[in-house]
Parts: sequence; structure tokens; C-alpha cells
Amino acid sequence: MLDEKKPRETIETEIPLGTVHPAALEPYRVRLFVEDEIVQEAEITIGVNHRGIERIMEGLPVEKANALTEKVCGICSNAHIWNSVRTAELGLGIEIPERASYIRIIMGELERLHSHFLYLGHGCEVLAHETFSMRAFYLRESIMDLLFMIGGNRVQYGCSIIGGVRPRCELTDERIRTLREKLDAVEKGAADFADRVTSDTVFISRIEGVGVIPQKQALKLEVTGPTLRATGVPKDFRTIMPDYEPFDFNVITQQDGDVKANLMMRVLEIFESIKIIRQALDNLPKGPVVDRSWEMVDCDTVHSYIEVPRGTLYHSYALEDGRIRGSIIRTPSMSNIGAMQYACIGDHVTDAQLCIVQCDPCFTCTDRAVEIIRR
Amino acid sequence: MLNILITVALTVLVCFIISTLLPGIERKYIHARIQQRIGPMVLSPGVMAPIKFCFKENIKPRASVPGLYKSLPIICFIVVLCILAALVPSSYIFPAFASIITIVGLLKIEEVCYVFMGALSKSIMSLAMPFPDVIKGGAHLDVERSYMEDLSAKRALRLISYGSFPMYLAIFAPVAASGSIFLGDIVAYQHIHGPFLFTLSGIIAAVVFFVGYMILLNDYPFAILKTKADVIEGPYMEYASKYRAFVFITRGFLMFTLGVLFSVLFIGVPPNIFSVGIIVNIVVALIFVILMGIFSAFSPIFTNRQFFPAVIGVSVLGVLAIALGLL
Repeated sequence: MLDEKKPRETIETEIPLGTVHPAALEPYRVRLFVEDEIVQEAEITIGVNHRGIERIMEGLPVEKANALTEKVCGICSNAHIWNSVRTAELGLGIEIPERASYIRIIMGELERLHSHFLYLGHGCEVLAHETFSMRAFYLRESIMDLLFMIGGNRVQYGCSIIGGVRPRCELTDERIRTLREKLDAVEKGAADFADRVTSDTVFISRIEGVGVIPQKQALKLEVTGPTLRATGVPKDFRTIMPDYEPFDFNVITQQDGDVKANLMMRVLEIFESIKIIRQALDNLPKGPVVDRSWEMVDCDTVHSYIEVPRGTLYHSYALEDGRIRGSIIRTPSMSNIGAMQYACIGDHVTDAQLCIVQCDPCFTCTDRAVEIIRR
Repeated sequence: MLNILITVALTVLVCFIISTLLPGIERKYIHARIQQRIGPMVLSPGVMAPIKFCFKENIKPRASVPGLYKSLPIICFIVVLCILAALVPSSYIFPAFASIITIVGLLKIEEVCYVFMGALSKSIMSLAMPFPDVIKGGAHLDVERSYMEDLSAKRALRLISYGSFPMYLAIFAPVAASGSIFLGDIVAYQHIHGPFLFTLSGIIAAVVFFVGYMILLNDYPFAILKTKADVIEGPYMEYASKYRAFVFITRGFLMFTLGVLFSVLFIGVPPNIFSVGIIVNIVVALIFVILMGIFSAFSPIFTNRQFFPAVIGVSVLGVLAIALGLL
């Protein structure tokens, strides 16, 4: 029974990997407790990337603090500034123009596309399938070009501002045409990639049944995002976000909770994201992209959740004289660390990194300050 | 005797020079083309990188027997050189040297060297911190710690115990057909009866040989010693400067030598600088490199779960090839 995937009491050997390891994109430490190269228990330690962003945000003017949140992550930078701006807008009671909301959705979904292609590329690289990895990164480049075209940058787009989006992120007819053309090519490429992956029996044999997280265990560990949906739980925060109400999309789920299910989750979500972007482009409302007629007032702590490529992202802060108080950020990888440790159990040492990567970790953004209260 | 030595030395020298191009051909013209990227210069992996390493400062490995550890890449190089020398027809006048038993023994030395390399080294990635580096609340604080090179050494033992079976079974298939362990006899047999490759037993053994070739060269999908996802460079991880240059050179040289071994055992064309037959050796070595490049570009790395059944399956084919060769 998969639910009985429990660590053994007697541990033979420990193999420490990291904090610096070529298979890991970021520095973190994994202690693998093994018996004959089979992992019996795993322990992930993060904390070497702590930058104290929340502390730096304390007392900053809200506009500056919002710009700082973009630096939390190099992959979902747009998601952080979007959610931080959204927190301020909820607190100040600002209604943004509809066109701005659509552009934010487009940026958010483009970011999901590039994050999922990065996931596929990195996953294939850990599996040492360099050709699939290169194909995924090749497809990702088209998305990066689109993000560069709209935001003027490849990583920090600075799209969302309080009241809407920056005027430089306005979608002109020329940009819309380019978006459509590139999305068509990406969709074709992603379909071809999916066909190749699913028809490669050797590749499938390496990912099927590896790093299994049963649904019961995923719910117990409070897993979030595609990693949770890969276990069969149709939970996607976009379905209850008012911003996504005008759009028709499916919540993708898989049943097995293994590496294959996680990989297929991302591949299928790519098509759903393209579908959402097309709908946004087809129905893009006319009008301004920013409303600057808002006034700064004090507000109590506001909580905002959005669905980002890795799961549910949480931002909260209060405003006092236009400055940030008590900022808290919780990234989805925080919720998924337990699942990463669990996924390694019972698999080969070589698969340990793969089991971690299947949960799409982003430890650099997860490193937060922890206050220990001694009693 | 002098003529024999000159012929062997010149043949080995020419083969060595050509072998330095093979890693570059694999990476530039196979991997990079398949993956739609530019790739390195052809001379980069096999020529320029070793030259560059020769001028780099060495680092002192944390090896328990540093002298032996440092000499292992050189031993590996000498082993490959001896295999190639044994394949040159001029060496056939020393039957004890130019025999299958010698070649198998030398290849086994190469494999044992991996165990020593892994067991004797400990890179900075495997070192314990000078203070307790386990976080508060960490599990199993008193458990024995292994390290990546140690893990790689254990995998080298797997390679010795069953991983390299396909190569040796394929080598013994021509022996079964010709009825002799001496290379001279095997080549003479093929001159009379035609190349062993064009028999049913030869075709099966060639497939088995190719799998064994990839296993011995530690290329994907069979690179259990050098898995990037855990042991990284495995036994070679701590080699720097000229010792790393030897590691690079030896790999290319082994690629060529195993290709030549195939052309001797399966086609009956030994390498000789004074014969046009050496072109066959070069072409065969090149075909092997191209095929290996294609297979490795389209394969994920195997864990023991895939490696073990693959080796057993191919070994069964090897036994079948020997049985057919005996008939």
C-alpha cells in the first residue's frame, strides 16, 4: 500500500547532498537516509538564501515595497508584485480598470507558461534526458520573448502597479498580433513535446511510479498547486478569484501523484493557460490601463491569495501613513516541502532529486525569517 | 624486433591522435545537432580541454593514499594503450599478450580503478563541516555518513560484478566461433570464413558488444558511475590539472580502442599503420561513437531498477550468441 510508505526505524547510512549541488537549481541541503541506495527517509533544510525582504519592506512606502516583492522570486516575479499590489488595492478599496485586469491575467498566464516549461526542462535535465530538456527550454524562449516585449525585461517586468498596470505594458495591436503568432507556435511545439514524451517508453519507465504522493498524504501535508492536483484534488485558487471569472478553463487533475502525473499536469496546464490568454486577447476591453484617482488611507492587515505556477501564494500587510506594516509572504513551496521529503521515500538515491523537482520547488523565495519564541 | 616495436608505436600514436577527436565529434555533431544548439568546437573536449588542464594548478585531494589516487588515471591510460598495442598485428607473435584473456584482464583493471578512485577520494562536496551541521531537530544525528565518491565506488563494484557482463560475453562470442583465444587465430579464422559479424551469432554479439561499449564508457543511459542527479562526476570528481587531462584523454582513447577491438573480433581487420585496413578501424570507431551519441541523446539515465534488467536481458543475448557461435 502506498499510504504505508513509512520510514524504517533503523537507518544504515546518511548521504548528504548540497547545499550546493549541480542537479539543484538553488542551494539547499538534503539528508538522505539510505539502505542499499534506497531512500528510507529524507530531510530537506533551507535557509541559506534568506534575504529578509519582509523586514526590508517594513516601513517602506507601499509603491516601493511592491517593487521590492518582485525580487522575491526570479521565476514568478510577476505573481509577487501582482499579489502585493492586490493586497494594497483590497485594503484601499480600489477598483482597477477591466483592461488592466485582463493584462494582469495575460502576464500571469505567460509567467505560468514559462515556469511550467522551466519545470519540464529542469525535470528532463535531472533525468539526464538532455534532448527533451533542450526542447523545453527552446519553447520557453518564445514565452520569454513575449514577456520581454510586454514588460521590457526578461525577469522583472514591473507590470502591476496600484490602480492597474504600467502604461508601457499596454497591449497594442502589433503586440497582440505577435502574441497570437507566438502562442500558436508554442502550442504546436508543446503538443509535439507532449507526444514525444508520452510515446517514449524508456522515458516513461523512468518517471512512472517514482516519487508517489498519495492523495490522502498530500492533503495531510497541505500540499498546494499542481502538485496537489496531480494527486486528483481539483483545487485551483483561480476558480474562486474574481479576476478569472470571465474566463472559461478546466482545472487539470491527474490521479497517480507520481513524477509522470506531475509532469503531465504541467504539460496539460500549458494548453489551459494558452486558452485563457486567447480568451483575454479576444475579449480585451477598451479603456485605460491604470486608474490613478485613488487616495491613500490607513488600513488593517489585509490578506490576499492568488494561484501562481507552484500553488497558492499569500501576501499580507497593513498600511499606516502610506507605509507597510507587518508584511508576511508565504510562497507555495513552503507548503510542499513535506511532500518533497515524503516523495523521496522508497525510491533510488538517483531519483531523490527528481522526487524533489517533481514538486517544483522554489526555495529561494521560500526562505523567510522565523521568530522563535522561547517559553 | 625493432620493426615490430616501430609498427606498434606508430599505429598506437596515430590511433591516439585520431581518438582525441572522438569526444568532440560526439558532442558537436551528434548531441548538439540533435538538440538544435551550436555545441563546443570539435577540438574542445578531446584536445583543448586536456591541454588547458595540463597548465592548471593541481589541488591536493583528501585521499587516504594520495600517491595511488593520483596515479590511477595514468594507470587507466596505460591499460588502454596496452589493449590497443595487443590488437596491432605485429603483437600477434606474442600470443600470451595478444589474447582475449589479456584484453579481458586489462579491461577489468580499468574497472577496478574506478572502485579505487571512488574509495580513495573525498571532494569538498562530501566533507563534513568543522562544526555540527545538522539543524536543530534534525533526524538520526548519530548515523554513519557516506559521501558521493563512496557511493560511486559501490556502483563501480556493481559494474564489476554484473554491469560489464555484456562486453565480455560479446568478446567471447568470436572465441566460441573460432575456437581460439588468440587474436591472431581469430583474425586468421575470419580471413578464411568471412567476417564473424555477418553470421547470426555475430549480429547478436555485435548488439551485445555495443551495449557493453556504452556501459564501459559510462555514457547515458548506462552512466551509473557518473549520475549528475546524485554522484555528479563520480570517481573522477576530485581530479584536477594534468590528472583530469588524463581522464579526458583516456575516455576518448577507450572509445577508439573498443571500436578497434570490435573490428578485430567481428570483422577481422586489425589496426596497422602500414595497411589501408586502418581506415576500417577508424570508420568502425566513428560509427560506434555516432550510434552512442544518438542513443545517449535520446535516453534518460537508468537507475538500478532499469540498469539491472537491461544488463541481464542483454547478457542472455550474449550467452545466446556464444551458444550459436559454438554450433
